[in-house]
Amino acid sequence: MKVEITVNGEKKIADVSPETTLLKMLRDEFDLTGAKLGCDVGDCGTCTVVVDGESVNSCLMLAARASGSEVLTIEGLATFQKLHPVQQKFEDLGALQCGYCGPGMIMSAKNLLDKNKSPSVDEIRDALAGNLCRCTGYTKMIEAIQEAAKEINTTNAL
Amino acid sequence: MRPLDYIAPKDAKEAVDLLLENSDSSCPLAGGTDLIVDLKHNPGNITMLVDVSCIEEFRGIKEIEEGLKIGSMVTFGEIMSSELCQKYIPAVIEGAHTVGAVQTRNLGTVGGNLVTCVPSADSAPSLMVLESIVTIIGTDGYKSMPIEDFFIGPRKTILKSHELLVNILIPKKNLSKPSKFLKHGLRKGQALALVNAAASMYLNKSDIISEPKIALGAVAPTPLRALKAEAFLEGKKYSEEVINEAAEIAVSEAKPIDDFRSSAKYRCDIIRTFTKRVLIQSADQAKQKN
Ligand SMILES: Cc1cc2nc3c(=O)[nH]c(=O)nc-3n(C[C@@H](O)[C@@H](O)[C@H](O)COP(=O)(O)OP(=O)(O)OC[C@H]3O[C@@H](n4cnc5c(N)ncnc54)[C@H](O)[C@@H]3O)c2cc1C
Ligand code: FES
Ligand code: FES
Repeated sequence: MKVEITVNGEKKIADVSPETTLLKMLRDEFDLTGAKLGCDVGDCGTCTVVVDGESVNSCLMLAARASGSEVLTIEGLATFQKLHPVQQKFEDLGALQCGYCGPGMIMSAKNLLDKNKSPSVDEIRDALAGNLCRCTGYTKMIEAIQEAAKEINTTNAL
Repeated sequence: MRPLDYIAPKDAKEAVDLLLENSDSSCPLAGGTDLIVDLKHNPGNITMLVDVSCIEEFRGIKEIEEGLKIGSMVTFGEIMSSELCQKYIPAVIEGAHTVGAVQTRNLGTVGGNLVTCVPSADSAPSLMVLESIVTIIGTDGYKSMPIEDFFIGPRKTILKSHELLVNILIPKKNLSKPSKFLKHGLRKGQALALVNAAASMYLNKSDIISEPKIALGAVAPTPLRALKAEAFLEGKKYSEEVINEAAEIAVSEAKPIDDFRSSAKYRCDIIRTFTKRVLIQSADQAKQKN
């Protein structure tokens, strides 16, 4: 079946079988391999992308259901000149180790900051509850998200 | 996943007809957070998905003459950010907030949660203590019933395979009723309930309890109303002893099992503690309102 979606601002069309998940379509049809396949059942969050402004597990969403939507993936955050503040702070603070959880973690963090300009530690933990990391202890990620929030707020205030 | 057909009918009637015509091989799809997981691991006979998530009649949260109507395809995320829910049914938001994590709550719907009908469903207890009415649609048209009658057993509701859950109504008399939901899992996020509990009640100026309701999850084959504990509380003057006694009765009404998540004995301890807590916190709200 034909699926038309906007990914990172670009209109795309794919012809996929109906059981194709959004994750599979992003990776196999559009070569957007940022979002990862981890558990495939909604537990780990490494497949997190933002659909029409809400973060979702792309392993549980059929591509067909995303038809007509605007999808944002990790590839849509940075430009060649500049990382997104969340990415930059993750790098500055060494918030990732192997990095497998990173794309999902950063999309969850970005989506949180879009909705909540200065989240508390508890609010950040709640927003990351669906993103598992097997390497770090989450502490530096939480710090990085708070730093990114500060940076975004000062840039916006300028 | 094995090959599947996907159809998104435009309205409820078309969906019912499709499900009826393909009754051996089709099922409704909502957010997919239960169904897609099942189809990946245990597909059974299903070869056709009938996507009911965009059917207009199943969407939206509306204040109507009879109360607050929540479409079956409203997601947990939508419930949490709804001003109507915040104003009238905060205990339902508390339940919604404990489901999985953000990404799952943005896909998963309250209707899908009720239809999956596991004893630990986190949307059930709050809706039960607010005496919600569910409406279903089938070949004979619409039918409404108290939410307790919708649950038949573990993973079994009253729905026939072509019937659909349309909406859930919280009756007007229970909007803004003092109420509380709590869940005990092994950790805060992404954990199913070992026990969940909700209560609602009114207190008059002399602290006399009226219309107390208690619902418990993961303690019996379906979410359970603790009717004996409720009957005990009705008309009593609120006190610590009365609440303790009610919690003891609630424990005796539950039939928890031993499983890999917890022993039955531990569940009984949690039922006692959580019944007390939801009753006390409902009463605190009731006092504030007086
Ligand atoms: C990682 C993860 C964590 C979770 N954590 C929790 C938790 O903490 N607490 C909890 O309670 N649940 C939890 N769940 C399960 C919860 O997400 C689901 O129960 C969800 O609410 C089901 O809704 P859905 O829209 O995804 O339904 P689907 O998966 O699309 O459908 C579920 C079932 O309902 C049927 N159905 C759907 N809509 C209708 C309708 N309108 N009429 C008739 N039948 C219908 C489908 O055919 C299917 O059988 C979790 C799930 C995941 C993946
Ligand atoms: S791969 Fe989607 S949540 Fe793990
Ligand atoms: S950095 Fe390795 S899983 Fe998170």
